[in-house]
Amino acid sequence: MADEKQQEKRPPGSCVPWEEKRKEFPQIAGDEELVKRQWEEIDALGYVYIWQILLSF
Amino acid sequence: MPQETTPDAMEQRYAQRLKRYVAAMRNEKPDMVPIRPFVAEFTAKYAGYTSQEVSYDYEKAFAAARKCAADFDWDAVVGNMVYGWMALVKAIGLKYYAVPGIEIPADAAFQYLEPPEDDAWMRADEYDQLIEDPTGYLFNVWLPRVSTDVAAPGQPNTFRNNMSFVKGGMAMLGYFMGFGRQAELLRKESGTVSAISGILKAPFDIIADKLRGYKGLCMDMYRQPKKVLAACEALMPHLTHVALSGADPAKNVPIGLWMHRGCVPFLSPPQFEKFYWPTLKQIIETLWSKGHQTLFYAEGEWNPNLKYIAQLPDLSIVYHVDRGDIFEVHKAVGHKFCLSGGIPNDLLAFGKPDEVRACCKKVIDGVARDGGYVMDASAIMQDDTSAENLRAMTEATREYGVY
Repeated sequence: MADEKQQEKRPPGSCVPWEEKRKEFPQIAGDEELVKRQWEEIDALGYVYIWQILLSF
Repeated sequence: MPQETTPDAMEQRYAQRLKRYVAAMRNEKPDMVPIRPFVAEFTAKYAGYTSQEVSYDYEKAFAAARKCAADFDWDAVVGNMVYGWMALVKAIGLKYYAVPGIEIPADAAFQYLEPPEDDAWMRADEYDQLIEDPTGYLFNVWLPRVSTDVAAPGQPNTFRNNMSFVKGGMAMLGYFMGFGRQAELLRKESGTVSAISGILKAPFDIIADKLRGYKGLCMDMYRQPKKVLAACEALMPHLTHVALSGADPAKNVPIGLWMHRGCVPFLSPPQFEKFYWPTLKQIIETLWSKGHQTLFYAEGEWNPNLKYIAQLPDLSIVYHVDRGDIFEVHKAVGHKFCLSGGIPNDLLAFGKPDEVRACCKKVIDGVARDGGYVMDASAIMQDDTSAENLRAMTEATREYGVY
């Protein structure tokens, strides 16, 4: 899986950066910015989860 | 005289209290000293719940906080100062708590368990992994180690592993959304302001509290000091990001910073200067550069570190004083920052109301004459705080704290 191989730094707010996820799509026929934005917004929830476990629980 | 409880009256009271609270935090002189008590398990005792009930059922914790806010004449409270929701802790199998009603009696406050030095949540040789990829380390190494249910990558997957993420994520979202509802209810029911928004911890405290343990980190400061510093640097942007993501968009109320191991005797001032302070200072400066104050909850005795704290930009923090001498703090940094706290918890637990009133008057006379002070106990109030004494603190502040 890409996630296990992924050793690049994950910036704050991100678990799987869009640049990495983008490679999985041979093409994006429509609005790529929409796909990117929604990916990042949902991906950020994973980030919130682990950092809030660390900080709040 | 009974106060009006119409929606308009509540909204007016809310606006008045917000203005008072914010003015004091900006080191200005409001109409009177605002009261913002950090009441935790006290709320359970006052509202008729056990500690287990408020730590396990957050709706009861919210209700208890609202009852205190409505019954006492307070300007601001935290929506749930007990905060750690133990049902979520158990749902994802976190090992580092003793939970009321399970591992400890139902009337005891939840406890954090320090890991054994030789079996810490993060091993001494794992700093490079943390530094290289903090988020990846937390998901792949730390979480499987601190949870009974989460399986590490490479280990056989389990139903409980899958469920922990689904249940944990959805439950956490529900809990945090509950704080928004709680803020609205506090505003509508009693005109009370939600005192803080967002959470911050010092990078060093995160390593001590949740990763290496205090003893392990003490050894690391001698055996691998560069790794400790690099780990603080690696955590810094993430902790800044989390703090900002939960901050008040209106920039009225501060981000809560809860500090544990930075003070004497846990760290000497030279150790504080080298390990604890550089990254925390940068985070606070960044938050302030974006318009957010930090509620600098200096739990313990922090006066030996005052010269460092004085380096922060004016108004960037609200300095909450616990065991330090608040009059010394006022002399050293009162011209730069609003202060809060300074009423000893043992006095509130075991003293007489007249003694509490005298103490409040002394603190108001000593540090609040020019504004820039928020009334509160020294530390978060648990169930040993006397309601009679807390009422005396409230009344004394209203009596002596009018400008």
